Amino acid sequence: MIKTDSRSILRRIVILIGVLIGFVIIAYGWTVTQINLDRPQEPVRQQNVTNALRELLSPNVFTQDYEIRSNSTSILLDCPADGTVPEAPATPDDGTPYIVVTPTCASSGDTVTVSGYNFYPETLARLNWIGSDGERRIRQVAGSRDNNFVIRDDGTFVAEIEVPRIRGSSGETHTIEIQDATPVGAVRFSDTTALVMEKMVETIFLALIATMISILPSAILSFFAAHNLMRPVRMPLGSLLIAFALLPIGWWLGTLVLGAIGTFAIGVGSGQLFNGSASTLFIALGAVVATRRRSIQPESFGLRIRGVLMTALIAVIVVAALGLLGGVGILIGTLWRDGLPGYISTFVGSLGELIQLLILPISGITGAFVFATAGISLTRPALKAIDMPIGHILGAVLGVICGALLLAFSATIGMQAAWLGLLTPIIAAAMGGAVLPGIYNRLLPSRPAKGSFKTLLRLIGAVALFTITFSVLKVERAIVIGALPPTNAAFAIGEMVIYEYVFKAMTIGAIVGGISAGFAGTRAQFPVGEVMYNTTRTILNALRSIEPLIMGLVFVIWVGIGPFAGVLALTLHSIASLGKLYSEQIENIDNGPIEALLSTGANRLQTIMYAVVPQVIPPYIAFTMYRWDINVRMSTIIGFVGGGGVGFLLQQQINLLRYREAGVAVLAIAIVVSILDYASASIRERVT
Amino acid sequence: MLKIENVSKIYENGFQALDNINLEIPDGQFVAIIGLSGSGKSTLLRCINRLIDPTGGRIIWGDIDITAAADDELRLIRRRIGMIFQQFNLVKRSSVLTNVLCGRLGYINPVFSLANYVPPSEKERAMAALKRVGIAEKAYNRASSLSGGQQQRVGIARALMQEPDLMLADEPVASLDPATSHSVMRYLELLNKEDGITILCSLHFLSLARAYSDRVIALKDGRVEFDGLPSEIDNERFRQIYGEDAVEVEIH
Repeated sequence: MIKTDSRSILRRIVILIGVLIGFVIIAYGWTVTQINLDRPQEPVRQQNVTNALRELLSPNVFTQDYEIRSNSTSILLDCPADGTVPEAPATPDDGTPYIVVTPTCASSGDTVTVSGYNFYPETLARLNWIGSDGERRIRQVAGSRDNNFVIRDDGTFVAEIEVPRIRGSSGETHTIEIQDATPVGAVRFSDTTALVMEKMVETIFLALIATMISILPSAILSFFAAHNLMRPVRMPLGSLLIAFALLPIGWWLGTLVLGAIGTFAIGVGSGQLFNGSASTLFIALGAVVATRRRSIQPESFGLRIRGVLMTALIAVIVVAALGLLGGVGILIGTLWRDGLPGYISTFVGSLGELIQLLILPISGITGAFVFATAGISLTRPALKAIDMPIGHILGAVLGVICGALLLAFSATIGMQAAWLGLLTPIIAAAMGGAVLPGIYNRLLPSRPAKGSFKTLLRLIGAVALFTITFSVLKVERAIVIGALPPTNAAFAIGEMVIYEYVFKAMTIGAIVGGISAGFAGTRAQFPVGEVMYNTTRTILNALRSIEPLIMGLVFVIWVGIGPFAGVLALTLHSIASLGKLYSEQIENIDNGPIEALLSTGANRLQTIMYAVVPQVIPPYIAFTMYRWDINVRMSTIIGFVGGGGVGFLLQQQINLLRYREAGVAVLAIAIVVSILDYASASIRERVT
Repeated sequence: MLKIENVSKIYENGFQALDNINLEIPDGQFVAIIGLSGSGKSTLLRCINRLIDPTGGRIIWGDIDITAAADDELRLIRRRIGMIFQQFNLVKRSSVLTNVLCGRLGYINPVFSLANYVPPSEKERAMAALKRVGIAEKAYNRASSLSGGQQQRVGIARALMQEPDLMLADEPVASLDPATSHSVMRYLELLNKEDGITILCSLHFLSLARAYSDRVIALKDGRVEFDGLPSEIDNERFRQIYGEDAVEVEIH
């Protein structure tokens, strides 16, 4: 006897309901996607698709030139009454084509047989009747449905034609002419093929360049998006806030001082090639010598100052060297014009111009970095010595500054487009999430909030801050109407105008930042790594979710139709995608060596260089190959939105209904993609 | 002198790995730390070089407060504390020499090390360290091509590059067979006797602790259960440390 288990029955019912729900979902999908079985059966459509497929499958890859030759013989219309038959013209015996008509005389409506010899085998030919009036009449050969017929494979043919009715020409001699298309010259690729090949090269390089450019940014981003590397990175809140507050000052001074140095260096480099490159080398050597130091004893304040000055010196050297390199690049760009040196010169010149474009932001970032590290280093002993109440007051002050700065920054972005206005409430919510648990823990230090209670506190804080910021900044107005915030100036600091909108956001940021940092105190450990990890991941995921075709649409507006737009679109998407893939490889590594290197006193950068990089190089190569493979596929269709490559050609041919030409492009894509697919798979297999 | 004062560690999931540990370890001692898995041996060793931050208490080494050190000071402290691991923690794809040189990163100019440049003097030092542990001829092999015992010796050579005053060994022989275990332990003994390096070594086998250490510290549930000479551990003590059902397994 089988025991019925009520749970197993329940389980079966659940499975059955699941299947039913699945069935309903698919049924709905069937309707939504307008699946219709009648349409494919309509004869017209079937005919159309057959024709299109036939042409696609007969791609116009090769071509050969044809020459239309003609040979003729004569025939007498109506045989003479005396029964004499005109003699057939003499046939040549030197292998040249000729035709013979039997009989040599016939009446209208009769059928005569035309046979031919020494023709080019299996080519098309047609027979014309040229009357005594000189008019050419095409005669359809019996058994053939159109004007043409095919020469046999031995170069002969026998065709029966009907003698046309031509009034008033009885007794005259008419001519029967054969026109045949004889191939001349070698078989060669058609013009379409040449064009497709040219575009295919463009496509492959489009993908290659996009992949190459994306490697460096995505490799850098991948370290920030790797949880195992970022999770342990923490920093005392005091140091972090000081560094953050110094960022804008550092940026400003950086663009001012370092920017001037960099611009000057570009001028020197682009003016004198020899001087430029020599001083670049000199500066690089100087950088190494300057940083040569035996031991650091950070306990001493004087040595800390020395360290800060050293960092600043290195920053100056780096910016100057970069500027010189850029300048030399620009100079090299003007040296050659043609051939291989021309390509190289243009490329190097372009890189130089890129450095010229970026020297100010780079100076700003470097300056901000120098100021932030200097702030951390110089204030560390003081922060360590500070007692609790002062630590909270200092925390509150710094929190006010940093909160105001952060939200001012996000509000400035929010003023650019309606939905970007959401950024400020979201950041405020992230800050608000920290407030309530912080206050709770400070008031009840013996029973810190844990688990779901802590989550609840966070959620309440986040929702509250989101709502407050959302309504104060009137974000709903922007979102519903699509109107940007009004630009009424609240006040101005020098030339910098602070708008009311930004000021409101700053006030919220100052209040929330002040409260949370005040309650936490300067000694609290802030999970910098976790925040950076989440930010990087979010940006990468958001970028990855936008298809390169859509990015292509935007870039076409910016840089115009052509492969450059395609390169930019694919690069942006590749950075996001490779960044994610790379970071997952970092998360998969053996963490033992990281621990071992940290325990030897290596710094974080050295640890990454010696414990992480050797482990991730093979998978990085593999994923880069894989991405190139994907980019080639993508670049074959990026042309559909104007991004250059073979896709542009394909789309044009399809729109012109030239399916034989489109077929060539499709064939080329299939060949290239499958070769690359195979190549990338075998390289990946070899490196892993 | 290494002083461990009231050190506790509560992990974020609430597990208390260390509960108020107090120890004083004079310089030059060979200390074996024994105890069941999960008794806090690894956590204690990692608290000493702050691979794990203790949640309470202080660790004083000489006149330095390790627990209060900021990041940059901590790196200088770590330079003088060698560590070897159960899983050796070598970079398997790199050469033996590169792995050993990694032990010197705390001393090498960061700009040099990012440019992958190693001063020749450091290379000589690495070769000397490898010669000391008897595998100089393997210097240019991949670390992954070495046997377990050899890999652990590379680990020791890497720690030697730091010129350490203190060596933390986290179950250095737990992944090795008995014969290799003794060879690795003998190298540690050599460092202790010849260079006067203080050694803190967690072990699974009491017999190894008896053979090599001057002092045995037994941990149980994050507390010090026993602290004394290896010879003082008798059957009763053994059962206190390892539980009633435990049977001592000898390793020869």
